[in-house]
Amino acid sequence: MYLKKIKNYIQKLKEILLLNSLNNFLTILLISTILILSIQSFNWVIFNSKWSVVTANVPLFAFGTFPEEQRWRPIIWIVSLFLISFLSIIPPKWKWLRKNLLIAWIGTIPLGIFLLYGGLGLQTVMSRNFGGLTLTILLTVFSSIFALPIGIALAFCRQSSLFVVKKLSSIYIDSMRAVPLIAVLFFGQLLIPLFLPLGVEIDRVWRAIFAFTLFVSAYIAEDIRGGLQAIPNTQIESARSLGLNQFQIIRFILIPQSLRIALPALTNQAIGLFQNTSLMSILGLVELLGVGRSILANPKFIGQYIEVYIWLASVYWLICTIMALIAKYVEKRLKIA
Amino acid sequence: MNTIINVKNISKSYSRGLLALDNVSLKVNQGKVLVIMGPSGSGKSTLIRTFNGLEAFDSGEINILGIKINQYHNERRIQKIRKRVGMVFQQFNLFPHLSILDNITLAPLNVQKRSRVDAEEYGMYLLNQMGISMHAEKYPSQLSGGEQQRVAIARALALKPEVLLFDEPTSALDPERINEVLDVMRKLAQDGMTMVVVTHEINFAKDVSDHILFMDSGKVIETSTPDIFFSNAKHERSRKFLNQLNK
Repeated sequence: MYLKKIKNYIQKLKEILLLNSLNNFLTILLISTILILSIQSFNWVIFNSKWSVVTANVPLFAFGTFPEEQRWRPIIWIVSLFLISFLSIIPPKWKWLRKNLLIAWIGTIPLGIFLLYGGLGLQTVMSRNFGGLTLTILLTVFSSIFALPIGIALAFCRQSSLFVVKKLSSIYIDSMRAVPLIAVLFFGQLLIPLFLPLGVEIDRVWRAIFAFTLFVSAYIAEDIRGGLQAIPNTQIESARSLGLNQFQIIRFILIPQSLRIALPALTNQAIGLFQNTSLMSILGLVELLGVGRSILANPKFIGQYIEVYIWLASVYWLICTIMALIAKYVEKRLKIA
Repeated sequence: MNTIINVKNISKSYSRGLLALDNVSLKVNQGKVLVIMGPSGSGKSTLIRTFNGLEAFDSGEINILGIKINQYHNERRIQKIRKRVGMVFQQFNLFPHLSILDNITLAPLNVQKRSRVDAEEYGMYLLNQMGISMHAEKYPSQLSGGEQQRVAIARALALKPEVLLFDEPTSALDPERINEVLDVMRKLAQDGMTMVVVTHEINFAKDVSDHILFMDSGKVIETSTPDIFFSNAKHERSRKFLNQLNK
């Protein structure tokens, strides 16, 4: 009797000890690995790396070859973007501000065009001088602001009761989703000029924005459609019983509610779009990644690709994190509403 | 006495050949309250939803406030009816993305094109009447079921309707919350609002209604005053239903 109990006890102890020793072993192994890795990378980052490749080229990373004395213009534009993003996440107390936020966001497009291209009293700057983070943000912001309404329209067309409208938008969405982004970008850069009549030329930046808008709007349409399907039919019924017509129901009930439901997916699209603008660096636009590549091609900085890519990764990381945080706050705010 | 709602022989069948409404006729006069009772699946909700065009029907005619609708769905006429007939649903169906006050002012602003000041003032007046003016800036999800249903009634009243339709307004509420909604409805009836109410609340039907219409499987079984219906119903089917309810 006792013997059996003691045997059991020893058995259990053995199991615990064995398990514990394995646990301990793994913990020590992991900690030492992390320690060695961080000491190594710390050592490299502080003592072995030559950050001059980054510090010497900060203006290039930020603005590309934008004329030096005109750099305040992209700065103002980017600051205004951050300001509007910040205003979008403050608590819903300032009603007038919330109502005009949409106009403010749309207004960033003409403001951006005016500040970057110049004209009307400002010195004109050619789009080939756009570059770096400015160009990356330009591509992202313009493409998403254009793609959102197109995506919403496509989503509603796909739900339409008119057969032709429905089929056309389905075909558009499905074919866009079946083509890789890089192909659409090639189409924008290489084929659009062939289709245009002689003498008419569209800026390379605008061709890129056009291609991104075409591509992203198809994905946005599917996100919005998901949101539309999640709205219960009773919402439409009660709106109809109040005498609202079809257009008013879409505007006041369906669009706001589907956007709210689709917000996490739309954030994904925006972050994806921001990262995908880096594809333009292989199509001849010198955006953030393109600047990095052209700096590395400079004999002065040859072989310093680790520094450049670590720097680029952290810039991309920072901006994506900011975007995700903004979306998180907006989501939180909409949750009660 | 003006006839506000005049339903003549309407029928509706679902594709399986099942009759949802079978030759239903009824009349509601100005300032009267009609209560529609019946077991579930008897077509009560379908009937009340035909009045403002949420449900189409196959034959017959409805004359509501002098506007005629028939089996040919005439969107413009229905739109006219909806501007003058309010409806309250079982599940409240408030708009979750709008504040309580915005829920109420949405239709007055966009359907009747009233000024914002005017619409908000009247909205606050209605919320006061319902005893929930302190919630004006909140969102529907922050309110209890009874409060939400009172907001829904205020929203229907905001268009200054001549008729109110209630489709089981208390069925989704906790028992303690039912009375706060019924009290509001009693007051509306006292003020002379013409109402059609689908409900299972016997006491409400006894106190407030002028007529009771009892339905089963799409047919009108009997129409009588509440005194007669609850004490001495003509039909075997009605008596059976009342016995079930009283248990």
